[in-house]
Amino acid sequence: MMDESNPYLPYIVNIEDAWYETPVGDRAVKTFKVNFKDEKVWDTWSHKPGNCAMVGRLGIGESMFCISSSPTEEGYLRFSIMQAGKVTSALHDLEAGDTMTVRGPLGNSFPMEEWEGKNILSIGGGIGQAPLRPVINYVRANKDKYGNLSVLYGARTSDLHCFKSEFQEYQEEGTECHLAIDIEEEGWKNFVGFVPDLLLDVAPSPDNTIAVTCGPPILIKFVTQGLERLGFTADQIYTTLEERMKCGIGKCGRCNVGSLYVCKDGPVFSYATLKEIPEAFA
Amino acid sequence: MVDETILREKAREVLARDDVRRLIGWKRGTYGYESAPAVLKDASQADELIFDPTCVQNPASFITLEEKLPVPRGQDPDTRKVAVLVKGCDSRAVVQQLVEKAYTRDGVIVLGVPCTGVVDRRKAQKMFGDTSEPVMIKEEGDKFVFIIDGETREGPRAELLADKCVRCRFPNPLVYDELVADEVAVWGADEFADVDEFEKMSPPEKWKFWEEQFSKCIRCYSCRNVCPMCYCLECVVTKQKPQWTRRSTDVSENTAYHIQRAWHLSGRCIECGECERVCPVDIPITTLNRKMTRDVKELFSYEPGVDVEAEPLLSCYNPQDPEEYIM
Amino acid sequence: MGDFKFAKDKLAEVVGALKDYEVFAPAAVGDVLRFKEVEDASSVSFDFKNTNVPPKELMFPETETLFKFRVGKTDIEPAVPDESKKRLVFGIRPCDAMAYTIVEKLYSWDYPDPYFEKRRESSVLFGLACSEPVPNCFCTSLGGGPGSEQGLDALMFDLGETVYVKTITDAGDTVAKAMGLEAAADAEKKAAAAQEKDALGKIKRSIDTEGIPEKLPSLYDHPFWEQFSDRCLSCGICTFLCPTCHCFDIQDEMEAFDGRRARMWDTCMFPEYTLHTSGHNPRPTRKERTRNRISHKYSYFPEKFDVIACVGCGRCINYCPVNIDILDILEKSKQAEAKEAKTA
Repeated sequence: MMDESNPYLPYIVNIEDAWYETPVGDRAVKTFKVNFKDEKVWDTWSHKPGNCAMVGRLGIGESMFCISSSPTEEGYLRFSIMQAGKVTSALHDLEAGDTMTVRGPLGNSFPMEEWEGKNILSIGGGIGQAPLRPVINYVRANKDKYGNLSVLYGARTSDLHCFKSEFQEYQEEGTECHLAIDIEEEGWKNFVGFVPDLLLDVAPSPDNTIAVTCGPPILIKFVTQGLERLGFTADQIYTTLEERMKCGIGKCGRCNVGSLYVCKDGPVFSYATLKEIPEAFA
Repeated sequence: MVDETILREKAREVLARDDVRRLIGWKRGTYGYESAPAVLKDASQADELIFDPTCVQNPASFITLEEKLPVPRGQDPDTRKVAVLVKGCDSRAVVQQLVEKAYTRDGVIVLGVPCTGVVDRRKAQKMFGDTSEPVMIKEEGDKFVFIIDGETREGPRAELLADKCVRCRFPNPLVYDELVADEVAVWGADEFADVDEFEKMSPPEKWKFWEEQFSKCIRCYSCRNVCPMCYCLECVVTKQKPQWTRRSTDVSENTAYHIQRAWHLSGRCIECGECERVCPVDIPITTLNRKMTRDVKELFSYEPGVDVEAEPLLSCYNPQDPEEYIM
Repeated sequence: MGDFKFAKDKLAEVVGALKDYEVFAPAAVGDVLRFKEVEDASSVSFDFKNTNVPPKELMFPETETLFKFRVGKTDIEPAVPDESKKRLVFGIRPCDAMAYTIVEKLYSWDYPDPYFEKRRESSVLFGLACSEPVPNCFCTSLGGGPGSEQGLDALMFDLGETVYVKTITDAGDTVAKAMGLEAAADAEKKAAAAQEKDALGKIKRSIDTEGIPEKLPSLYDHPFWEQFSDRCLSCGICTFLCPTCHCFDIQDEMEAFDGRRARMWDTCMFPEYTLHTSGHNPRPTRKERTRNRISHKYSYFPEKFDVIACVGCGRCINYCPVNIDILDILEKSKQAEAKEAKTA
């Protein structure tokens, strides 16, 4: 936090670079690479894969986004933001050289230490890849601590794939990588179908494996079912939840699912936890 | 006088029909002078219904309050009718909702309840105090007879009637499929004496008056939500993009909210008085709406909620419309 | 601590004697009472049951600025309240003071909220014991009572001509001395005890909360919620007027070149509260919202903070325009069979 005594005050960050991941237009995804205006912030800043931050513009407001860069990527933070409402539209108007506000890191994180020694399976759809990217990059940077890394990812069309060039890097490094699109496209040589279908097609083994999934609620629902069918137990499956948020620190009330605040007790939950909360999938 | 046995019997018949989804009326409240709107889904619940001078709420408000969720794939939408019990004043809401095509006439079953006036809870509390047990009230000539904690008390009808009832010109429902009792004689005449009284104030006095009233507003939106004519799916005051009214509460934003609402109700307000009744901080909202009602009446000879065949005033253009309307 | 008294006709002098405090007391606009800063000590009165708007607004105002900024600039100017001036909350009812002790748990949880905490720390609470509870008071069911001392620095008993003041903390003692109060005798203490006993007998409504926090989650899909939600207006009365409801919205507001980030009361009863930008709403109907309000108070909050987020002040019952009565809901929840509920 900018000021230990006041969790509502944001940091000012400079946008060092900004680019579109998907074609410009409604619901486009734009990535911002930012650095703190006051570089001293790095001395106290520490985040983990899964952590979020309130990103905003003074005069418009802030919204919660996952930090899409891994702490192993030093010297900057990345946010990949889909244009949808008032705040995201205003953020999309920003370019390199502009400033925005960041308040964080907030929420819990993926239990990366607990997962050491295990295979990591990432299953993402659309913008849902954003919280998975730091997990993937964290594992890539700590190869010796983890087993195999495999990445499954899909979007409606190949245009809508985020982080395209990075999947090539993963493959070049020897990471098992499966891409999918929903609808047949000319020149597409990979899987055609929804991500849950891709999962069943690839049929990864549950042995000593943690599956992390993120995407639209419908994807999470069917991927989870698919994983269970493949023999994954509820405590081997992790996902992130999304709710409307304002404070990000468990005060303003709106993001609760049952007695848990997604902003503070989440966004990362194991499926074992979520199964006990009927509201989690509302 | 409404016979509750007959009312319940009619309701039971309606609820038993296959093409009826729910019936909205009144039931006994849990304490004091309260009744509660009753939303019944089964004929076996019909005995919960009551009709007496505690039945102040407007059941027509609840027709449009129900949220419609998307119909799951493979299922047909529920097209069954909604039945509603209405007093004369409440029926004006149904008329105006029909005029505005909020729903179709064959989508509702209207059971008309001729009414001789309801009690204003606040007036009764001042006269008799309050209690944790439900109070029974009946009308006897020019008196209301109360049973409060087992004791019988009496008070003059004229002093206990809700304001809207004092000037009521429509005690008998204006639209109905069936009446549950005989029509009653009309007693009221609307002279807009309240608006005249208000207009005696000078503009600075009026401003001071409203400033004080609106400063109390906590923006709970109960006035809007209870209003049978405020049934927009998205309200201008809660719209975020663009945002016309800020969420912060101060005199300026509160005033903006109330003035917008008064404008949006001009030519539409059917004077059921619910907005003022529900206000937890006693803002005299009716005064604002009644001023608009009189202007509309004088300028356009238009009265909303009395004629199902009428066209909605502000949605229709007439080259002969008086220009004084634009200030 | 100490026992003091003053003559009720000296009320204005007693309050007026406090030069170093901002004094807040119930003030009327028409029939509507809420706490306001006292400008004229002679306007302070004990002639009220309770305020329409709870004094939570003294710690958590309807709207407050979090920080200020200027267009095109990146300087952020925090607007944390100045704590140098002591505040005296005079005439707060025991239920409303107890509510502070509950809400405090949330505001100090993990990320302490400086806005709430600064106000709370600088406030001395002089409670006024209830001699005439209103018909929907049920504080005794939640561990409170007409003479409850929870959260208070001093408790006053209006004994007619005399006011007995029992100080509970050092801060209360300091204020009592600054007011120049004289020592009370046994007679006043006895009269206060008798008044409290009498007031307890006037509380007619109650709920046995035993087992409710554990049971509510099992009723998640139970149809009984609809008995209440079907007539709910989705307005903010029950939550805005609740002394323990603490939810808020945050909005940026611009005035020419000056901007502020402000927070304002918000309520889980509004559909917009949880509406996602995508159009998806996890609590799309009044049923889910009603369930959330009750479950939050009586199950989620106690699960997290070990205390039910309700003090039994009765405001949500008194002001609900459609007679949604929390005691009725809780009773029905106790009767509801969990097995009737569909499994999620």
